[in-house]
Amino acid sequence: MTQVRLADLTKIFDDDFAAVNDLSLDIESGTLTALLGPSGCGKTTTMKMIAGLLRPTAGDIYFNDNSILDIAPEKRGAVMVFQNYLLFPYMNVGDNIGFGLKMRRVDKREIRRRVAEMLELVQLPGIEKRKPSQLSGGQQQRVALARALIVEPNVLLLDEPLSNLDAHLRDEMRELVRSIQRELQITTIFVTHDQEEAVVLADEIALMFDGVLQQYAPPAEFFEAPSTVAIARFFGGLNFIPGTLENGAIHCPCGSFQAPKSGVKAGVSTLSIRPEAIQLGGRGHNDVEGVIRSHVYVGRYARFRIDIGEFQVEAVTEPSQVQHHQDGSTVTLHFPPEKIWVLPPEEEHKDEGNESAG
Amino acid sequence: MRFPSPQTDRGRQNLRIALLLTPAISLIILLFMGGLLMGFIRSLNYFPLIGLNEPNLEAYRLVFTDREFFASFLLTFHIAFTSTVIASILAVGAALLLRPTFRGKKIISFFFQMNLTFPHLVGAIGILFLFSQSGFLARILTNADVISRPSEFPALIYDRYAIGIILQYIWKEIPFIGVIVLAVLQSVGEDYEAVAQSLGANRWQRFRYVTLPLIMPGVLSASVIVFAFTFGAYEIPFLLGRSYPAALPVLAVRSYTDVDLAAKPQAMAMAMVIAVLATMMILAYMNLTRRYVRSS
Repeated sequence: MTQVRLADLTKIFDDDFAAVNDLSLDIESGTLTALLGPSGCGKTTTMKMIAGLLRPTAGDIYFNDNSILDIAPEKRGAVMVFQNYLLFPYMNVGDNIGFGLKMRRVDKREIRRRVAEMLELVQLPGIEKRKPSQLSGGQQQRVALARALIVEPNVLLLDEPLSNLDAHLRDEMRELVRSIQRELQITTIFVTHDQEEAVVLADEIALMFDGVLQQYAPPAEFFEAPSTVAIARFFGGLNFIPGTLENGAIHCPCGSFQAPKSGVKAGVSTLSIRPEAIQLGGRGHNDVEGVIRSHVYVGRYARFRIDIGEFQVEAVTEPSQVQHHQDGSTVTLHFPPEKIWVLPPEEEHKDEGNESAG
Repeated sequence: MRFPSPQTDRGRQNLRIALLLTPAISLIILLFMGGLLMGFIRSLNYFPLIGLNEPNLEAYRLVFTDREFFASFLLTFHIAFTSTVIASILAVGAALLLRPTFRGKKIISFFFQMNLTFPHLVGAIGILFLFSQSGFLARILTNADVISRPSEFPALIYDRYAIGIILQYIWKEIPFIGVIVLAVLQSVGEDYEAVAQSLGANRWQRFRYVTLPLIMPGVLSASVIVFAFTFGAYEIPFLLGRSYPAALPVLAVRSYTDVDLAAKPQAMAMAMVIAVLATMMILAYMNLTRRYVRSS
C-alpha cells in the first residue's frame, strides 16, 4: 500500500525547456491514475522522475510521506513497464520474468515457482522456455507486466501500456490490467495520450498540457465539469458560445440560457454543451433558433451542424431525426439547463494567432 | 497475363546481388585463395623451377620437429591472447566511460580514436622511444635518481614476456574495439539498463546481466579480428621482440628470405600452419564466448 505525493515537481532540461512545471498530485494508495496529455506534455518525464530515471530540477516526491529523491532507483520499488516492452532479447521468458528476483538473490526454485505463478496471472501459462522474439506484441506486453509484478512493486508505472497493440488486443489488455490492478491493489500510474484509454481504465486522470497540470479529477468530471475550454475540447467538446454569466443565467449574443451549473462565479464566460445534450425541437425555455447547415447519418446516431447566428454548434441525435430536418431548414434547439456547463472565457490560442498572422 | 510470384521476384533479387558482388568476390578469391593455394603447393616441396618435382610432407615434418617452432608458437599465442584480452577489457571500460554525454566529450573521443589512423610502426617507434632501456622513461627515472643507471630500467623491449609488443598492440587495438563497442552501446540505448534498474539491479548487476550480454556480440567480433591480426602480424614482433624465440610470422619470413631456396617450403608450411592454427583458435574462442553469452 503506497500513497504517492508529488509536490511542486519541476523538470527543466539543459536547453531551459520546462518539461514539467510545478506539478502537485496526491495519488491515493491502491488506485489507478492516468497521466494524460498530448505528446511532449511532460507525462513520461513525470513518470521517469517517479521511477528515479530522471532527477527533478525542483520539488519532491513522497511515498507514504517519505521523500524518495535520495533513494536509488533500484531501491524505490517503483517499477516501470516501458512502451516497447524491452524484454531482454538474450534471455528466455522465464529468465526475463525472474530477473528482479534473481537480482534480489532469491532461491532458484522459489523463482521458478513464482515465475509460473506470474505467467498464470497474465494468462500465458507454460511459456517459460520461449524467447521474446517468438512472442507476439500482446504476449510480450504481458511478459513485461509479469516481470514487473513479480517483484511486488510499491508503485507500478506503465508507459503507454496499450499504444503498441491492435484494437482488439487493446480491449483485452485493458481488462487484464484493470483486473490485476484490482486484485493486487498496487498503486498504479500510467501514461497515455489516448483520452478514451484514460477514461476507461483510470480512477483519476491528471491532464497535462505543456508540462502544466490542467485538471486532476475522476474521468466523468472531464466531461461534465471541465475547468477550461481547452480541457473540454481535448475530451471531445465542440460547442462553445461566449457570453456573460449573471444570476444563474448566461447571456449570449444569440439568446439567454438558464445555467445552474458553472465553473465560474460571474462575468465574461463561455457556454458549453456536449453535442449529445442538444435537443432538436423547442421546450419553451432555454431554446434558440438555428439553421441546419449539414448533417451526417451514421447509423447508430445522426450528426447535425447548425448555425446559430455567427456561431456554429454540433448536435448528435437519434438517427430518425434526419427524416424530420432538411439542410437549410430552420430548427429550434433546446439546451437543457442541467446540461449546460459554464466555463471561463476561452484564451486566445497561440497557434491560431500564428495562423491568422501567417 | 502472368505476374511474377514473390518467390521468383526474390530469386531475381538474389541473382542481382550475386552479380553485383561478383567483381569484388572474384578479386578476393583470386588474391586470397590463389595465394593460399600457391603457398600450399610450395609447402609440399613442389617447385619444378628448382627441380623439386615430387610433392611430399618433408617441410611439415621439419616444422613440427623444430623446437624453435613450438617456442615461437607459444610466444605468438601469448602475445595474441594477452593483448586481445587486455585490449578488450580496457576498450569496454573506455567505451562505457565515453558513453554518457559530458563536457569535452568530442575532444576526448577524438583523442581516443586518433591512433586508429597511425600505422603500427609509429606506435612501435613510440614504444622504443619511451620504454626501452635507453629510452625516455629510463633517462627521466635516472635523472630523478629513482634508478641509478638507465640499464636498471626493467627490460620491456626484446624481453621474455614480449611486454613491449603487447603494450604496442594494446595501445593500437583499444580504440579499434572501443569504437565498435561504442557503436553497439549507442544502438542498444540505455533503456534495457533502465528496466533492469527499475527491477532492482544495482550498478554491477546491470553491467553483468544487461550491458555485457548486449555488447558481447560486438566485443566478440572485434576481438576475433584483433586476435587474428596480432597472431599473424609481422612488423611489431620484428621490431620489438627478441630474435629467439621469435614470433611465428617473424620465423616464417626469416625462413622465406633464407638464402637457401630449399628453406622456402618450410616457410610456406609454417604459414599454412599459422593460418590453420589461427582459424582453429578463432573458432574455439567464438564457440566459448557464445556459450558464455547464452548461459548468462
